[in-house]
Amino acid sequence: MTDGGSLSRTAVMGAALGLSLLASSTSQAAAPKLLVYLHVSLKQRAFQGLLQTALPGVDVTAVGRISDFDRAMSESPDAVLTLPLVLSAKNLRVQLQGQRSGSGEEKYALVAADSAPDPAAVKVVGALDVLGRDGTSQFVNRMLGATPKVERVTKVEDLLPLLQMQRVDAILIPQRLLSDVKSASRINLVQRELPKQIGLPAVASLGSAGPNISAGISKLPLNLSQTMGVDAWH
Amino acid sequence: MLAVPAGCALLQGCAPSPVSPTTHYYAEIARSKNASAKETILVCMPETPQTMEVWSGLRDELAKNYNLVALRVEDRAARSVIEEGIRRHHPASIVLMNNPTVAAYNDYQRNASNKAFPPVVVVMTSFLDAGRLTVSGATGISYEVPLITVVTNLRKLIDRPIDRIGVIHRPELAGFVQRQAALAAREQIGVVRETVGSSPNASELKRALRRLKERAGAVWVLNDDHLLSPKLIAEAWLPGLNERPWSPTIVGAASLVSPLQSFGTFAVLPDHAALGAQAASLVFDIADNGWTLPSDAQTQLPVSTTTTLDLAQVRERFALRNDALRQVDRVLDR
Repeated sequence: MTDGGSLSRTAVMGAALGLSLLASSTSQAAAPKLLVYLHVSLKQRAFQGLLQTALPGVDVTAVGRISDFDRAMSESPDAVLTLPLVLSAKNLRVQLQGQRSGSGEEKYALVAADSAPDPAAVKVVGALDVLGRDGTSQFVNRMLGATPKVERVTKVEDLLPLLQMQRVDAILIPQRLLSDVKSASRINLVQRELPKQIGLPAVASLGSAGPNISAGISKLPLNLSQTMGVDAWH
Repeated sequence: MLAVPAGCALLQGCAPSPVSPTTHYYAEIARSKNASAKETILVCMPETPQTMEVWSGLRDELAKNYNLVALRVEDRAARSVIEEGIRRHHPASIVLMNNPTVAAYNDYQRNASNKAFPPVVVVMTSFLDAGRLTVSGATGISYEVPLITVVTNLRKLIDRPIDRIGVIHRPELAGFVQRQAALAAREQIGVVRETVGSSPNASELKRALRRLKERAGAVWVLNDDHLLSPKLIAEAWLPGLNERPWSPTIVGAASLVSPLQSFGTFAVLPDHAALGAQAASLVFDIADNGWTLPSDAQTQLPVSTTTTLDLAQVRERFALRNDALRQVDRVLDR
């Protein structure tokens, strides 16, 4: 071929290279990532699906175990939705706080079979594993003002079996989840409301897409927010 | 990991020998090393998806405090593998997964010259309770999901009252069923029992099933191999369950829930990662007790479960509660 032909080949090759580079950079613009670590009264799979539908364009991962949360954190999510006490333990700042009836905190209850438990007297308490072995034990101790042995579970539905099998004297639970536990049981479950309140779910922004994700969360359908105990986000 | 014949601890100077069917190779499936840890937990296990989930639960809980070693044990003749693992790692505690592994460890204990053994936690073995723990210095977690948990799960899904559960069992499991019934009574669950022979035929089983369905609101199928042979499934269970009156049927094996054959309506199985975490809790109890078994240690029941639902069967025969599908881990459909 003549020079003209060579130039044409070069131009074609250059265009092809440019197109492949463009395709490569386009595919690298991955969806913003939201990591959710909350204990709710439905399966994490179902919870994740609801959030995914409500937050189109966001890659949502919902986990229920602290070890899965720690592993997922290493994948650099743009935002994290969890309890403020978890954010605090990971040195993350709250950017968006869930509220219910105007408060950013909620009450917890100690629940036992047949009679209201005495926080100072219970020897073994079942609790949601929020912060791992040591962190959750410290959390329970602060809530009760006592140092019972703590049996940890990673799902709300696993608290009831601890009472059914009499593995614990009582369970510690956010008060709003008590009706779900009661509805699954014919045991006479009696609660003692605890004085200390704990922060409702909140969002920390970690990456550049964090603020957009927060904005999306603040507009979640009310019934979805209510699965997290929230009726407004500020 | 390099697999070494367990009877030949050092490669150097080890005369090559022909591989025989009884040769067991020492192989570590996984390790978790903690530079600041003094103690090692030896986990003896076959390598299956379920045991690896239990391992992950153990590792996630224990790795911050201890070294962990997962040692492959393939059958009940693997005494030498366990012996080698103990020799190498001097574990402070041992976890044994499944019946053949426990049998191999039993064999090791019987033949060991030094009779001081570390405390043991047993998981994933059939119908485990204190009376059946043949290993000395052991505690553990039963692999069967208790009936009380099974029915609690069923009540969340099916939109009709479930007050009486039917179970068919051989005489050998009468004690197990009785204990399950006593626990289930706490949730006002009545248990209707049909006892069949130790080696029932299909006709006997099918008659028992028909009687049971007339008296109970649901059927609980035990993980008893003697009642779940392919012949009994084909000639008794499937015909019996696929005729009216329809009874929700709860099984303890995922393979028994399939929209293609309409056996189990739903399966309730231990959550294996949570089972590992529960076993880790027993290891922590042992550690807190100076690496000896606490005197009040009792075998436990598994707390956490996963559920699988045959949606095709449910749609055809039963009514689900409104939010039922959000309470199920896996939904199978045609």
